[in-house]
Amino acid sequence: MSTWRVGVDSGGTFTDVCLLEEESGRLAVWKVPSTPDDPSVAISGGAREALDRFAGGSALVVFFGHGTTVATNALIQRRGARIGLITSEGFRDLLEIGRQRRPDLYDLQADKPETLVPRDRRLEVPERILHDGAVLARPTPEAIQAAARHLAAMGVDALAICFLYSFRDPTHERLAAEIAAQQLGDTFVTCSHAVCPEFREFERLSTTVVNAFLGPVIKGYLSQLAPRLADAGIRVEPHITQSNGGTITFETASELPVRTVLSGPSTGVVGALETARAAGIENIITFDMGGTSTDVSLVEAGRPRTTTEAEVHGYPLKVPMIDIHTVGAGGGSIADVDAGGLLKVGPRSAGAAPGPVCYGLGNEEPTVTDANVVMQVLNPRELLGGRMPIERDKAVGAIGALAGRLGLDVNESAAGIIRVVTASMARAIRVISVQRGHDPRDYCLVAFGGAGPLHASRLARELEIPKVLVPRNPGILCALGLLLTDLRHDLSLTRRLRLDEGAQGEAHEAFASLRGDAEAWFEREGVAAERRRLVASADMRYAGQNYELNVPLPELAGEAQLLDALRSGFEAAHQRLYGYTAPEEPIEVMTFRIEAYGLVDKPKLGAAPDAGPDAAGARIGKREVYLPELKDFVACPVYDRERLAAGNRIEGPAVVEQMDSTTLVLPGQSATVDPHLNLILEFGEDA
Amino acid sequence: MSDAAKGGNWTVDPVTVEVIGNAISSIAEEMGETLIRASYSTNIKERRDCSTVLFDARGRTLYQAEHIPIHLGSLMGVVEAILERFPADQIREGDVFIGNDAYTGGGTHLPDIVLASPIYHEGALAGWATNLAHHADFVDRGHDHIYQEGLRIPPIRLQRAGELQQDVLDLILLNCQVPRERLNDLRAQLAANRFGIQRFQALCARYGTDFLNRVFDELLDYAERRMRAGIAEIPDGTYAFEDSFDSDELDETLNFRLRLTVRGDEMDLDFIDIPPQVRAGLNLVETALLATAYYAVKTGVDPSAPPNAGLFRPITVSAPYGSILNAAPPGAVNGRTNTCQRVVDLVHGALAQAVPERLVAACNGAVTSATFTGTNPRTGEFYVYLETLGGGFGARASKDGLDGVQVHVTNTSNLPVEGLEPEYPLIVERYELVRDSGGPGQWRGGMGIRRQIRAIDHQCRMFIYGTREESAPWGLFGGLEGGRYRLERDPGVAPLVSGVGELAPGQSVAVVTPGAGGYGPPERRDQALVRRDLAEDRISPETARRAYGIEYGEESGVAAKAGR
Repeated sequence: MSTWRVGVDSGGTFTDVCLLEEESGRLAVWKVPSTPDDPSVAISGGAREALDRFAGGSALVVFFGHGTTVATNALIQRRGARIGLITSEGFRDLLEIGRQRRPDLYDLQADKPETLVPRDRRLEVPERILHDGAVLARPTPEAIQAAARHLAAMGVDALAICFLYSFRDPTHERLAAEIAAQQLGDTFVTCSHAVCPEFREFERLSTTVVNAFLGPVIKGYLSQLAPRLADAGIRVEPHITQSNGGTITFETASELPVRTVLSGPSTGVVGALETARAAGIENIITFDMGGTSTDVSLVEAGRPRTTTEAEVHGYPLKVPMIDIHTVGAGGGSIADVDAGGLLKVGPRSAGAAPGPVCYGLGNEEPTVTDANVVMQVLNPRELLGGRMPIERDKAVGAIGALAGRLGLDVNESAAGIIRVVTASMARAIRVISVQRGHDPRDYCLVAFGGAGPLHASRLARELEIPKVLVPRNPGILCALGLLLTDLRHDLSLTRRLRLDEGAQGEAHEAFASLRGDAEAWFEREGVAAERRRLVASADMRYAGQNYELNVPLPELAGEAQLLDALRSGFEAAHQRLYGYTAPEEPIEVMTFRIEAYGLVDKPKLGAAPDAGPDAAGARIGKREVYLPELKDFVACPVYDRERLAAGNRIEGPAVVEQMDSTTLVLPGQSATVDPHLNLILEFGEDA
Repeated sequence: MSDAAKGGNWTVDPVTVEVIGNAISSIAEEMGETLIRASYSTNIKERRDCSTVLFDARGRTLYQAEHIPIHLGSLMGVVEAILERFPADQIREGDVFIGNDAYTGGGTHLPDIVLASPIYHEGALAGWATNLAHHADFVDRGHDHIYQEGLRIPPIRLQRAGELQQDVLDLILLNCQVPRERLNDLRAQLAANRFGIQRFQALCARYGTDFLNRVFDELLDYAERRMRAGIAEIPDGTYAFEDSFDSDELDETLNFRLRLTVRGDEMDLDFIDIPPQVRAGLNLVETALLATAYYAVKTGVDPSAPPNAGLFRPITVSAPYGSILNAAPPGAVNGRTNTCQRVVDLVHGALAQAVPERLVAACNGAVTSATFTGTNPRTGEFYVYLETLGGGFGARASKDGLDGVQVHVTNTSNLPVEGLEPEYPLIVERYELVRDSGGPGQWRGGMGIRRQIRAIDHQCRMFIYGTREESAPWGLFGGLEGGRYRLERDPGVAPLVSGVGELAPGQSVAVVTPGAGGYGPPERRDQALVRRDLAEDRISPETARRAYGIEYGEESGVAAKAGR
C-alpha cells in the first residue's frame, strides 16, 4: 500500500490540495472551489477527490497538514466570541487605552480598532502582585465567583483572565480560572500567563483577549473538520500550521488559537524556504503577491525571521510569528491620480469579482493587472490557461483615461503603475531586511502567489537583489509548504537577569526548565526521540534599553560557556544593528526562549535530468511586450513553463507562461531551469 | 505661487517623484525605529517621545516621520540656525551638531535635544539627517526665565569630522541629573543619524544629487498643491475664535484670540490681543507656534498631504513678538505644549465655522505631564520618571470622540506598568477612563484618563502640569463641554504650588485629565447609544437624566464592578 502525505491550504476562493507519495517523491496538485460557509466541506472533499484521483482508494495517509485563514478572517470580520474579561483592580480600561497613542497623527476622523470586550464585560477583582513577585493583594474566591456569575448572566462564551505580573507568578490567574470555570461550565477560559508569559501588560492582555475571541471559533471549526476528515478516510492525527511556520495538533490549536492568525501566509514561507533549500539556497526573501495584498518575509540560513510582537489587523499580538510584512497592494489594486497629481496604487482593490477592467465584468478603474495586460506582459487574450478571456482594449481605455490626467501616454502610464507598485513592494522588503539590519543584496528573492513572478524581476532590480527563484508551481506553494513543515512549539520564560558572574546558574536553570517543558510537549505530540530538536535563544539588551535583540545560541552551550556565548552574541548583534557597542554598560537577558521541533521527513523532491540549455522546445510564440527600459514594444519570445526542462536557459527579454502565473525575464537577465524545475533568474554582469 | 504649483507642470515624471518620496519617508521612519530601539530612558524607548526629519541641503523639510508634531518646531529651527551660524565651508562631512536652545539653537524647550548631521555626496552637502529626543532631565528647576530651565546649548559640534568631542559631551553630561541615561540616549541618537546618512547617500549614488534636488522641489510643490487645493475648498471669509488658557503656573486665566482668513487657496492665521509673555514655562517661541499652526491647518485641510516644507507655503502665521505665543528671550518655555494645544483649539474652533463636517469639538486641550523624582531606595540613584497623559478626543460630525488618547501636538505612548515599577520606586494603582468626562452631545466627546501613582519607601518630589482646570473643552453646535483637569490627593498630601509638590512614602496622587467636547445637541443622541454608555458606566444615571433626558430605571443593575 502506498503511503501519502497530504497538505491542504484553504483560501477564500480556492482550496489547494497537495499530495506527496513518500516512497517515490511523486507530487500531485488538486484545486477545488472553497466552501466559505463551512470550509471543512471543501477541505475533506478536496482531499478525498485528490487521493482517489492520484493515489487510488487504498492509499494510506500518514500525514495531514492544514493551513487556514479561519482565525485571520474571524479577526478581520470581527466575528468571534462574546468575551468577558477579569483583570486586576484599576486596570479594566487598559484594553481600550492601550498605549494611549491615537490611530492616525493627522486624520481627525480615524478610529481605533473596535475593542473586543465592551466595558461592561470587563470586570476587576482586588488583586495585585508587584514586580518582584511580592503579593500586595490576593483575589478572594468570593470576588472571582461574583465576577464570573455576572459574566455568565451576560451570556459570555469566552473568558479572558489577565492580571499584572502573571508572567512572574501565575497563581492568581490559575485560581481565577479554576473558580470561574466552575461558574461558567463549558465556556472557553484563557489566562494571560498561558498565552504569553512576558512583560508589558497591554500587549499581553491584547493577545489574551484575541485568544479568547478566537477560541470558540477555532474550536468549533476544528471539531467540525476532524470528523469529516475521518469520514474521508484520513485517520492520522491532523495538524494545523501556526503563525511561526510550525505545525501543532488540533488540540493545541484549540487552546491557543491566537497562534494560528498567520497560519495561511506562514505556510507559504515554509514552502518557499524548503523549495529554496532543495535548490541549495539558504538566504531568501519571500515575495508572495496575490490579488489584494502581498506578504514578504526574510529567511536567513534556512530559518525564517520570527518576531514575538506584531500588530495583526489592528490588534497587538505577542506570539511567535514569522516576521511577515503585508502591504495592501496586489494584482487587483486600483491605480488613481490624487488631488496633487501623483499616481497612487491601492489599497483599494477590484478583488476577484468584478476584478480588473480587462476581465470585462464591470469594473472601470484600472488595476495593476490591467497595466500588465496593456504592456502585454500578461497574455492580452486569455489567462488561467484559457479559462479567463481578456479584453485588452478595455484595459487600454481605462489606463488611457488615467494617462490624460498624468500627462503621459498610455504605455508610460501603465509602466508608471508598475513602477509605483514595485516601489511599495521594495519599501515592504526594506522593512523586513534593512530595518532589521539585513542587506537585501545578500538574499535570493523567491517569488510566488499569482502575481509574484510577474513583478519579481523589476523588484529585484530595484533592490539590487542578484537572484530570483520562481518555484515550479508558484500558485500552490502554500499547500506544498504544509508537506514540508516540522512540528513546532515555541516556549519562553521572562526572567530579568543581569549577565554577571552570579548569573550562570540561573541562566542555565531557565533553559533547563524550558527544556523540561519542551520534552513534555514532545511526549504529548508523540514525537520520537530521534526527531526532537531544540533551538535556544535569548532576548537581550543593555540594562536600560527596552527593546531586546534576539540572540540565537548555536547550541545550548554548557553551563561554563553559556554567559560568554550570550555576551558575544549580543554584542555582535548590537554592533550590526546600531553600529556601536557600549562596553561599560551591563547586559541583561529578559526572556529565555526555546523552539522545539518535531522533525518530519522532508520529501525527496526528485531531480530531473539535465536536458541542456536549448529551450526552443518550450517556445510557443512571440509577443510584442512594452519595455519601459527600452521605451518601446519589443518582440519577446513566449515559453510554456510546462515544457521547460532542467538545464534550459532563456535570455531576456522573454515571457514564461503557466496556468496560474506568468514570469517576466527582463533584458539583460537570464532564466535557467534548475534540476527541481525552478526558474532561476539572474542579471548579467552589466545589467 | 511657484509655477510648478499651478497644476502639475512636472520637470521630473510623477512616478519617479512618488518612488523617491517613498524612499525618503522610509529613511526617516527607520531612523526613528533605530533611535527608539537603542535608547535607554523610558521617555524615549517606551513613550517614543522623539522625532526624525530629513532636510535638503538648503534646510527645507523633506519629511517628518510620524511621531510628535510639535517636534517639527525644533527640527526646522535647528538646521536654519546651523546654516546661519556656520558658513558652508566650515561644515564638514562627519560633523554632528547638537543643540536645544529655544532662542539660538532653533529648539522649542531645553529637554528636546537635537542632533543634526550634514550628509555629503561627492564632497558636496546633499542634505541633513536630524533627530530629536526628549531627554527626561533638567528637573526641579525654575521657570521664571530660560536660564533656570536647564543647560542652553546653541548648535555646536558634538562630533567633528567623525571624531566625538569629548569636552562638549562632558560639559553637557555634568549639567544633567541622570547622566548615564543621557549618554546612552545620545549614543542612540548618533546611531539614528548614522543610519540616515548611509541610506540618503545610497539614494544620492543612485540618482545623483542634481536630479534628487529637482525631485525634492517637486515633492515640496506637490505638498503645496495639495494644501492649496484643500484650502480652496473652504469658503472665503474671516473666521474668528476665542478661547482661554489656565495653568497652575499662572495667577489668572489668559484669553487668546485668532482671526483666520481664507482667501482663495491661501490662509492667514492672525493671533491678536495675545497677552505678553509670562514668567512661567508656558511661552512659545516662533518655531513652536509655526509647527503647531501647520499641524492644526493640515488636520483640517488635508490630513494626508506629505509633511514637508511645501505645505507651509500657502499659510501665514502672525503673533505679536514678546507675547506668550511668540516669546522674546529670555522667556521660559519648558511647558510650552499646554499652550500649543490651545493654539490648535483656536484654529479648529475657527475652521469649524467654515467646514463643520471636517473638524471636531475641543479635544482635551492639554499635554498633562507628571514627573516624579527622588532617590530610588533600591539602587541609591536619582531617578526621573516623566509621563504625559492622554485624555478625550473631541466628538466628530458623525461619530463619538476617542476615549483616552494623546491629541494634537503630541502622541507619546504610556509607560507600561510592568516597565515602570521595576525601574522606579512607584506603584501605579489605577489607570482608567473617567466617568462623565466625555462632553454630552449627539456625538459624545472622548473620556479623560485617571492615573494614580503611589510613592514607595521614599520621599518623592512631583511636578504636575496641566490646563483646562478653569475652562473646559468646548462642544460644537450644541454639544456640551467635556470634563476638566484635576488632581486627587491622598489625605495629608499638600496642595501643589505652581505644579510642584511632595509625596511621603506610601502616599499617592491621581492625575485626572480633561475629557473632550460633544458635537451636536445631546437630545439628538440615539437613545440606544445613551443606554450603552450608561450600561458601560461611561456616564452616570444623573448625566443620562440631566443631559439626555433618559430616566435611570430598568437599566439598573448594570455596571456593577465585581467584588466591590
